[in-house]
Amino acid sequence: MVSLLFYALAAVAVACAIGVVASRSPMQSVLNLLGSFVCLAVIYLLMGFQFLAAVQILVYAGAIMVLFLFVVMLLNLTDKAPKSSLFLGLFSPKVLGALAAFFGLAAAGALAAGSEVAGEMGVVPEGGLDPIVGIAEVLFSKYMLPFEAASLLLLATMVGVMLLAKRERSDTDGGQA
Amino acid sequence: MIPSEHILLLAGLLFSIGALGFLLRRNLIIVLASIELMLNAANLTFLAGSRMHGGPAGLNLDGPIFALFVILVAACEAAVGLALVIAFYRQKQTVDLEAATELKG
Repeated sequence: MVSLLFYALAAVAVACAIGVVASRSPMQSVLNLLGSFVCLAVIYLLMGFQFLAAVQILVYAGAIMVLFLFVVMLLNLTDKAPKSSLFLGLFSPKVLGALAAFFGLAAAGALAAGSEVAGEMGVVPEGGLDPIVGIAEVLFSKYMLPFEAASLLLLATMVGVMLLAKRERSDTDGGQA
Repeated sequence: MIPSEHILLLAGLLFSIGALGFLLRRNLIIVLASIELMLNAANLTFLAGSRMHGGPAGLNLDGPIFALFVILVAACEAAVGLALVIAFYRQKQTVDLEAATELKG
């Protein structure tokens, strides 16, 4: 049951990845990317990495995907209608909706089988140590310095992005905003 | 039990598709999406490695930590990349990479 789910998810993830690369319009490409992310999150869940699955959904399917969609819509890149071909028809809204339903069912199945999977893969040892607890212990002791460096990186990124995306007001077309 | 080799195979497949898109496509947004795809494949490899070289608990915790940091860097990369796309679009009114040929001389 678990391996069947894994192979189905892997097939959908690869199909979505091909959709990312092959789509003509950026919008379809980004939506296919979302499908790939969600598939991978459920695969992480099957592998016993619950925390990573949650982070994948929150950061990738949440934050990064919103950024992508925001830019695609802001730049109005959806105007050029894609040439409809049989291949691209595979990634139409109807099929994407069906895929979303599939992800939902897969996630529900993964959660239902969660305890069984965790036992089967030896995630939870006899002491009852959850992998999330283990990750936290390692992150805040062995990897304390990279953790702090990561916060510095995030701050630098924030300042850099604001500088990059800022509209220069001293220019002649400064009043356009 | 899923064999770890199959997970690595999936990761390799996803990375190849991403690399192909990065090299072949000319739309900046799709190029960035391909980079995200490759980073995801790398994450999957870290997690598979964590399973293959697990300690007594069955999982080596260095893998998930590295995957966590990769996700963090990917978020930063996406933010900076998309800001660059917006700046590029303001200059050229397009997101086609063929328009970025000013350094050709």
